[in-house]
Amino acid sequence: MTQTTPSAPQSSPPASPGFESPRQRLIHGDSIMHGLSLLGGLVILVMLAGLLFVLITAAVPSMKKFGWSFLTGRVWQPNEIEVAVHTPDGKVVKDADGEIVTQTIPAKFGALPVIFGTIVSSAIALVLAVPLSFGAAMFLVRIAPRRLVAPVSFLIEFLAAIPSIAYGIWGMFVLTPFLMNYVERGPLQKWAHTPLVSWLYFDSHGTRYYCTGSDMLCGGLVLAIMIIPIITAISRDILRAVPRAQVEGTIALGATWWQSATEMFKFSRSGLFGAVMLGLARAAGETMAVTMVIGNTPRIALSLFSQAQTMASLLASKFVEAEDLERSALLEVGLILLIMSLVFNVVARWLVVGKDSRSAAAH
Amino acid sequence: MTQISAPASINLIGKRNTSAHVVSRAMYATCIVFAVIILAILAIVTGYLLFIGISNFIWHDGGWGQIFTHWHGSLSFFYREPISDRKDALFPGGMANGVLGTIVLIGLASIVGIPLGMLCGVYLAEYDQKSFLTAPVRFVADVVAGVPSIVVGILFYELLVLPFHRNSAWAGAAALAFIMIPIIARTTEEMLRLVPNSYREASMGLGGTKAGTIMRVVIPAALGSIVTGVMLAVARIAGETAPLLFTVVGNNSITWNLNDRFPALTVQVYNYTNRNTPEEKLLAWGGILVLISLIFVLNLAIRYATRQRGGGAH
Repeated sequence: MTQTTPSAPQSSPPASPGFESPRQRLIHGDSIMHGLSLLGGLVILVMLAGLLFVLITAAVPSMKKFGWSFLTGRVWQPNEIEVAVHTPDGKVVKDADGEIVTQTIPAKFGALPVIFGTIVSSAIALVLAVPLSFGAAMFLVRIAPRRLVAPVSFLIEFLAAIPSIAYGIWGMFVLTPFLMNYVERGPLQKWAHTPLVSWLYFDSHGTRYYCTGSDMLCGGLVLAIMIIPIITAISRDILRAVPRAQVEGTIALGATWWQSATEMFKFSRSGLFGAVMLGLARAAGETMAVTMVIGNTPRIALSLFSQAQTMASLLASKFVEAEDLERSALLEVGLILLIMSLVFNVVARWLVVGKDSRSAAAH
Repeated sequence: MTQISAPASINLIGKRNTSAHVVSRAMYATCIVFAVIILAILAIVTGYLLFIGISNFIWHDGGWGQIFTHWHGSLSFFYREPISDRKDALFPGGMANGVLGTIVLIGLASIVGIPLGMLCGVYLAEYDQKSFLTAPVRFVADVVAGVPSIVVGILFYELLVLPFHRNSAWAGAAALAFIMIPIIARTTEEMLRLVPNSYREASMGLGGTKAGTIMRVVIPAALGSIVTGVMLAVARIAGETAPLLFTVVGNNSITWNLNDRFPALTVQVYNYTNRNTPEEKLLAWGGILVLISLIFVLNLAIRYATRQRGGGAH
């Protein structure tokens, strides 16, 4: 388009001081506009660079102190504590005056429980949400009557826009009591001691979980409900972009409805995987809803009824009061979260955008 | 003509009850069931949010009937500060501070976020198509839009709260602007791309400069849909809680002091979910209702605006 601009600025006559022709003013305006919009573009790059720079510099003390063991540590203990020294057979050691000998355990931070919590809660959400969303997307693309498609699509897009705190408050006041009364302390409780169910109720030491409804199960369910509209909306768009000839071809070859549907899924698999990745990115970075329902106890447990904590909910609940080393450790958790979501987003964009251009070329 | 993708078409090929056909019918039903399950879940969630939220506005100590005698009480949400004292005759107060705070924060964020986001969109759509910068900028805009909002919150805590040793509305507004910019940039770019090239050629053919073409022809042509994108971004930041938790922290009274703890509706809702009295919890539900009504209206407007555009383009 620049070629269509008539004269290049250099060829215009030199401006006499104090006078600018309207034409020259416009050309100046041109370069100002170009400069401003370039600035707008650079701001985006600076934003990401600044984000990474600030988080990395702030996390350095924690990185130096804990190194890689930060990722495998299981303890989140912000203050030094004094504990009595025990002999190997479990007795408290006393010195000559009968005073209990204590040792100081320094502050220590490990991110493994929250990484575990993030991965498991997101995985539960994906396992529940992905089949439902794909099924519903297929319904919208191939089954639903035309006049149903628009309102249902609108509803799903609206639900994708509802803020997470709304899902959080619903989870906290509706889902949590429901799970507590009708699932965890409900009929299932009768079989708590049978081998099939006991892993839900007891940890490895045989201690029973509180079963208050604020637990990994509730966190996973709320996350699933939150990502269902997103995955449904994106995968609907992707399935709709499958060329019609592709579907008709399979039908003409004698495929059943489901066989042609599988063909559609196969055709758009990378785009659908991108949709799942976007859902995963949302689930992993979700803060408010999870903080309100997951119980906020950093713990690694097999059971769905165990309280847990995710990286985001750890940040939300600890960051305000944190000081010095703990703040640095929290920022390192934030950095891990950021990198995780960057990876998910990059993969997702790559797959979804790649899919778009390919289907565009097919038309 | 029969619908080609409907299961009835199986009969066209010849009725066969092979396992493939049984599976196909089962999966067809499964897809319908999944859609119904999803709609049911989402109806339950929104049903609760609406029902309890609405009851905040019309349920008071005297019960439902008071809506007729004390109807003004139902709107106290919008003009009263929260009062935690049960003896106060005008209990349960409202969240006027939160509503006001959110409006101020959105306004501050928009002053920075909308121009910068639009400039970035203009850059991506109109300038430097072959520059080495364009693709990275577009990609980074997409990626930054997906950064967890809590991470944005801790970023602006480090940048704007910690150095000044005080919470401020500025830090919260900056965090919201950070979230806004990539969304507006990408929607602006997409909307500008929908403007036919002949508009630009006509403007330049008449001797218009590039800047003049963009400002007077391209942007006005796409203005409706750009406004839609801006509304989308506003809807998004209106519901953000996590970036505000550490930056503005929340304030229980109406304040205009931008250099101190500042109220925000979402933060207040979050704080009130942990309160004890049912009235305070109801206030939280009321806050949610206000938020999702706002988002519903914005979504309707967006749908209306994009349908207009789609109808015109085709």
